[in-house]
Amino acid sequence: MYHVEVLPNTSTSHATPGWTYVPDKGFDPAKAAITPSLGRKRGIRDPARTDVSSRQANAIVRHLAELDRENHRDVAISIPPRQLKDAAGRGTRTKTTSNVRRILQSQKTFRNYLDDEEAALAQAASSATGATAAQRLSLNKITKPSSSRRSSTPATTPRPDPPTSRAKKDPPQPQKPSSADNIPATVQQDTPQQPESGLIKSQYDNDPLLKSYTPSAPSARIMRALLSEPPLTYNASRAGPPITGKSTRRFCCICGYWGKIRCRNCPQRTCGIECYKVHEDSRCGAFF
Amino acid sequence: MGSAKARPSGRYSVAQAQPLLPDKTFIIDNGAYTMKAGYAPGFPPPEDEENALSGCTAIPNAIAKTRGNRIYVGAQIGTNVTDWNEMLFRRPVEKGYTVNWEAQKEIWETSFFDGKTVRSKDMHVADPEDVTLIFTEAPNALPALQKNADEIIMEEWGFGGYFRCVGPSLNAWNEVQLLFGDSALRQPESAISPTECLLVVDSGYSHTIVTPVYKGQPLQRGIRRLDLGGKHLTNYLKELVSIRQYNMVDETYIMNEVKESVCFVSNDFANDLERTWKGNRRRGQPDPGEGVVVDYVLPDPNGGKKGFVRPHDPLLGFKKRKAVLSGAGAEPLSEDVLVLGNERFAVPEILFTPSDIGMKSAGIPDLILESLSVLPPALHPAFLANVLVVGGNSLLPGFMERLDTDLHQIASAEYVVRVRRPKDPIRSAWLGASRLATNKEELRKIAVTRQEYQEHGSAWVGRKFTAAL
Repeated sequence: MYHVEVLPNTSTSHATPGWTYVPDKGFDPAKAAITPSLGRKRGIRDPARTDVSSRQANAIVRHLAELDRENHRDVAISIPPRQLKDAAGRGTRTKTTSNVRRILQSQKTFRNYLDDEEAALAQAASSATGATAAQRLSLNKITKPSSSRRSSTPATTPRPDPPTSRAKKDPPQPQKPSSADNIPATVQQDTPQQPESGLIKSQYDNDPLLKSYTPSAPSARIMRALLSEPPLTYNASRAGPPITGKSTRRFCCICGYWGKIRCRNCPQRTCGIECYKVHEDSRCGAFF
Repeated sequence: MGSAKARPSGRYSVAQAQPLLPDKTFIIDNGAYTMKAGYAPGFPPPEDEENALSGCTAIPNAIAKTRGNRIYVGAQIGTNVTDWNEMLFRRPVEKGYTVNWEAQKEIWETSFFDGKTVRSKDMHVADPEDVTLIFTEAPNALPALQKNADEIIMEEWGFGGYFRCVGPSLNAWNEVQLLFGDSALRQPESAISPTECLLVVDSGYSHTIVTPVYKGQPLQRGIRRLDLGGKHLTNYLKELVSIRQYNMVDETYIMNEVKESVCFVSNDFANDLERTWKGNRRRGQPDPGEGVVVDYVLPDPNGGKKGFVRPHDPLLGFKKRKAVLSGAGAEPLSEDVLVLGNERFAVPEILFTPSDIGMKSAGIPDLILESLSVLPPALHPAFLANVLVVGGNSLLPGFMERLDTDLHQIASAEYVVRVRRPKDPIRSAWLGASRLATNKEELRKIAVTRQEYQEHGSAWVGRKFTAAL
C-alpha cells in the first residue's frame, strides 16, 4: 500500500506562489467539519482508503474520552466533614498561607491546567522577540515529536565521535585515561557487545567481518548536556505514530472476532452473517 | 545598593549554614490508583527485598462513595467496604499528576497526619518538621502543578526536608544488576548508588511511560508517554461486557477485579482469537476454546460472596433450566456469570496495538524504540539490555513474554534485549527511593530544607528540582 507523508518544512517562506505542502497533522475536529465527507458509495468502491472519515474520527475521539473516564456518571463526591479533628490535627502548625488557600480552593482540572500551559507557551512563542523566547521556540522545534516519521537518529542528536576515529582502537580498551569520571568505561560494562577486560589477542582481531560496529559511548560532556536538558512539554512527550507499519486490524463489533464484512450503512464491521444480523437489528447506524 | 548588600550576606548564610536534613525520611509515591508510602529504613538497607518493603504500604488514593451514600477515604476503602456495587471514586491524581489538592490533602491527613485515623504507627507522620519527604511525580509534569505541590507541601505541612522527583527514575537505585543477572558491582559497605543505564517502562493506572534513566537521572528528551493504562483497560473491558452481556457500566470496581483475575496478554493473538470464535465450535468435538474461555462468577454482596473465576461450562444454561424444572434448590440460579472469551486478551492488547481501538499511536514496543531514537546510538545497546518494567499492568500474565518477543523483533538484531520485572513492580519506585534515602550525602545535595524554602521561595525550589541535580 502506498503511503505519502510530507515531512514538516522548516523554512518559513515558500517560493512557490499559490500552493504549498501542508503537513498532515492527523484528525482536526475544527477542519473535519469543513471538508466534504465522501459518500458511502465511494467508500465501498475504494476500500483501500485508509483515512477514516470525519464522523468515524469523531467517534474514535469520543470513545477514547469515554475510556478515560473515572466513573461512568459525572458525580461530585464532597470531602466528608471532619469534626474538630482538623483543629486537633493541625496542632502546632502555623495557620494556612494564601498559597495554600488558593491551591485548596482551586477546582481546576488537569484539562484546565493543560490549556493554561498551552496558552502560555503559544504566547511566549508569538512574542518571540527576545533571545529567551527564540531559544524556547528552537527548543520546542527540536523536541516536539512531529507527526512525521522520524529517522532513527535525527540531526539534533548529539553524536558521539565518529566511529572512524575509534576504529583503530577497536576492540575498545576498558579504560580511557582521558575520562576522569569513568563514564564511558562503565557504560561499556553494561553493553554486552563489548568484550570484557582481559582480552585474548588473536590474529582475527582486525578482521573487518568480526569487528563490532557499535559506536563508542558518548563523552561525559555529551551526557552532561543530555542530562541538563529541560523536560519536554506534556504534549511533546506523547507517543508518536506507530513505527512498524502494520495495517490496522478490524474486529467484529458484536463478538470481537475479525471484522470481515463491512456494514452497508455504517463503518462498523462484523465477522459473519450471524453477527451482521444482530448488528443490523440492534446497533446499526448508532454512532457512539 | 540594596542588592549589593544582600549578596554577601546570602553567600555567607549558604556557606555557614548548610542545614542538615532531618534523620527520618518519609516517602510517598503518589500514584493515581494507590499511593505507596512509608518510612525509609536506616543504613545499611536490608538486603532482603521483603524486609525492605515491609515499611511500605499501598493505600488507595481515592475518596469512594458507595451506593448507600457512605464516604470512605484512602485506606478505609480496603477494609471497611463490603458492598462494591456502583461504587464511585474521586481521585485527586488525574492523568498521573496530582491535580486536586483538596482531595489529596484529605487523604493524606487521614492516612498519615491525623493520629486518630492513621492505620499503624509506621504510617504516622506526627511532626513533619522532623521528617524529610520524598515525593514522586510523573514525568513531564506541568510547571503549574509542580509549583502547587511544592507550595502546599512546604507551607501546609512544613516538612523539614523535601525532595520532589520523577518517579520512574528512582528505580535505578534498586539492585537491578542482580535482576538482570549481572554480578553486583557495588561493595557491600559503600554507599548506595544508582545504576548506570536503565530503561524504565512504567505502565500504570493512567498511562504508560518510557523513561531512559542514566545514573539515576531521567534523560528528558527520551521520555515518551502512551495515554493508555490500567484505567483504560478496565473501562474497555467494561464496555465490551456491557455490549455483549450484562450492563456493567457503573461497576468500575468490580470490572477492575474481573480484569485483574482473567485478563492476559496473548502471545499468539490470531490463534487465540480463532480458538474463542463460536464458528469453530462443532458438535461432538472438544471445544477449541477450552482453557481460553472462562466464567467469572460475579460477587454477591447480599450473600457476602466474592467473585471468582472458573473454567467455562457450556452446559450451564441447560443445567439451570433443568434445575428449575426439577424444582431443585435455587443455588445455581442465584449466581450471575460473565462468560469471557476474546475479551480476556483483546483488552490488554490495546497496550501493544493502540490502533485496535482506533488510536493513532505507537504501542509499548514501538514506544521504546521511539524513545531511543532521540538518544545517541551508542547508548542503545546499554538501554535495550536493561529494560525494567514496573507498574501494575506488568502483572498481567504474558505481558513480559510479549514485550520481550516484540522488542526482539523490532530491535536491531545485534543488540541483546533483556526485559525484566522486579519482584514487586508496584512498589519498586518506593523501594528505590528508600535506598536513595540511605545515601544521606546524595540526598542532601538534591533535597531542600525547610529553611531554604522559606528563604528562597517556591520558584527557586522548582528550579533546583528541575535543573540543578
